[in-house]
Amino acid sequence: MGYSGASGGHEAILAAERLVERHRYGGSSDWLAIDQITGRLRLAVDRIMGEGGLWAPELAARALRQSEGDVQEAAQLIRAHRSTLPRVAYSEPVHADELRVSRRISPAFRNPPGSQLLGRTLDYVGRLLDLMPEEQARARAEEPAEPPANGHANGHANGHGHGHAGGEDPRRPPRLLGLLRSMGMLVERRTDGDPDPYDITRSPVRPGVPRSARLTAMARAETGALVHLWYSNTFQPGRHNHEFPGEVRHGTLPVRVSHPLTGNPVTVAEVRVTEVETIDDLDRAEEDRSRLDLGYGMCFGHNERKAIAMAGLDLLVHRDGGRTELEQEVLLTLDGIEASGFLEHLKLPHYVDFRSVLDRKRAVRAAMEEAR
Amino acid sequence: MRTITDLAGDGAPRGIFDELSKREVRRAALTAVAVPGYQVPFGSREMPVARGWGSGGLQVTLALVGPEDRLKVIDQGEDGGVNASNLRRLVVGHVGCEEETDTRQASLIQSRHRIPETPLRADQTLVLQVPVPEPLRAVEHDVREQRRMHAEADYSRMWVGLYEDVVRNGVVTKTAGYPCMVNGRYLISPTPIPRFDVPKLDRTEHLTLFGAGREKRIYAVPPHTEVEPLVFEDIPFEVEHTPGAACRHCGCEESYLVEVPATDGSVTWVCSDTDFCTRNRERER
Repeated sequence: MGYSGASGGHEAILAAERLVERHRYGGSSDWLAIDQITGRLRLAVDRIMGEGGLWAPELAARALRQSEGDVQEAAQLIRAHRSTLPRVAYSEPVHADELRVSRRISPAFRNPPGSQLLGRTLDYVGRLLDLMPEEQARARAEEPAEPPANGHANGHANGHGHGHAGGEDPRRPPRLLGLLRSMGMLVERRTDGDPDPYDITRSPVRPGVPRSARLTAMARAETGALVHLWYSNTFQPGRHNHEFPGEVRHGTLPVRVSHPLTGNPVTVAEVRVTEVETIDDLDRAEEDRSRLDLGYGMCFGHNERKAIAMAGLDLLVHRDGGRTELEQEVLLTLDGIEASGFLEHLKLPHYVDFRSVLDRKRAVRAAMEEAR
Repeated sequence: MRTITDLAGDGAPRGIFDELSKREVRRAALTAVAVPGYQVPFGSREMPVARGWGSGGLQVTLALVGPEDRLKVIDQGEDGGVNASNLRRLVVGHVGCEEETDTRQASLIQSRHRIPETPLRADQTLVLQVPVPEPLRAVEHDVREQRRMHAEADYSRMWVGLYEDVVRNGVVTKTAGYPCMVNGRYLISPTPIPRFDVPKLDRTEHLTLFGAGREKRIYAVPPHTEVEPLVFEDIPFEVEHTPGAACRHCGCEESYLVEVPATDGSVTWVCSDTDFCTRNRERER
């Protein structure tokens, strides 16, 4: 728009907004209902809630529709919405042992305490593009959901030859960590130095913050960025081993707040989370080479890629011990909203500073000519 | 029966920023005024603009602005720029304050990259949007080390960096965001304002607040505070200047001019401060 006066910008913005609306509300296809998005684009909704840092499936679905499927943009909408909400209370801590699992696998042990529960996973499904004709697919969608056939969903778990030990709830499996600890295989990492979770939405994170801050930052990180950082560090020269996920869980956790009048904890919601504990072989000179170490990851929704990379990075940062800038990268560079916001600012006008750059180039040139 | 909104104490959630968060920004700003140039960390909230499009300035502005204010927003000196219009629209739409383009009439000015040509008064506040608040990033990548250097006022490496620049290039090649000492204590990056605007920060009548949203820091140059660019005694501080250049609209030679290249490779110049330029032209008529 250039130098065309004070109102051009405003009009241009309004026109751009109309174009956005034309795409959002236009077209000849049916209007997308919120329950269709929460029902059929479940993993996208989970990612938006995780990266947006707010458990609200319907708002996330709304955001995804508004952003025409751009997950990053939808997460930004959710974060901005968070800023309009007063912080009423902090929820009570919930032990992760309360997780009611719908999936729980252990790549580390064939027969861990508690069952392997395969649950919903793409891991063994051929990645073939489904070219089923639309009418057939629609007909399939209208069929009543299959009852859980015995020897199908649970069959995998039983196939590993592990029965449910006396009265144990397969939805609340014991933790592998407990087994390893009783075997004396783990270094002790528990400290009492980080009693309250560090709230990264209220205090900025900087290197030196407690571990809970790192874990929260990673839980809200952009999944791709997190996976990239884990991947590039796993392929560092000198690293010959990758870690083993001890267990990968997906399930629901209660959210409790203290009742404002009685002070008793009240369950007000349930959230789905993915939780990973990952085991690493300690092999460095300064480490206890007779033991293993454990990394932890938990994020909103069903997002195993994120939780596994997060647990891996939790370990890598700890083992790194501040020798490199890995902690700084984990804390400061993984937020998708910040990274893409900064990237998008490049589209803003820069003529004032660019003019300053040109001025210096000419000054350098003049200084060179003078020296000649 | 008490409801959630009662407990929150601030009425129903509305607008783009809850009241408790605004209070936090005000507290950070007060700390920043009390310790000139010190970068006060704060729990920066996400705003309904991309993070990197002035979300820090927007938070500071929203924490300060009231319905009685006259708000001016500029981007690169322009009131009519798309980003400036958009931010102004957001604030005005939510607060109901007056829109203003005349620098003299504005009570609050949010700016990206420029300080208006017209000197500001004690009853005016300037809010600058800061993309990269850390002046030491150029010489030190480690955040912990940067904090130590600020804490101990250890700016030797910054001086060495400038010295190496002079040795290598014959001149200091720092462009926008020239490192400045505030009150003889803290080094700041005065946002990417051009060197041209740096002298306008020194011993001002008005308060300048810097808001960096993505990096979660607020800092300030209070009125009558000394702001000195880092310079060697024998190498004078230079501001952007092109001999013979004058605004093609108002003829001004003293303002910050930006180039307008023509397709034939020739160049003309215009004032980057559009309000200043318009008033110059009206005076001529």
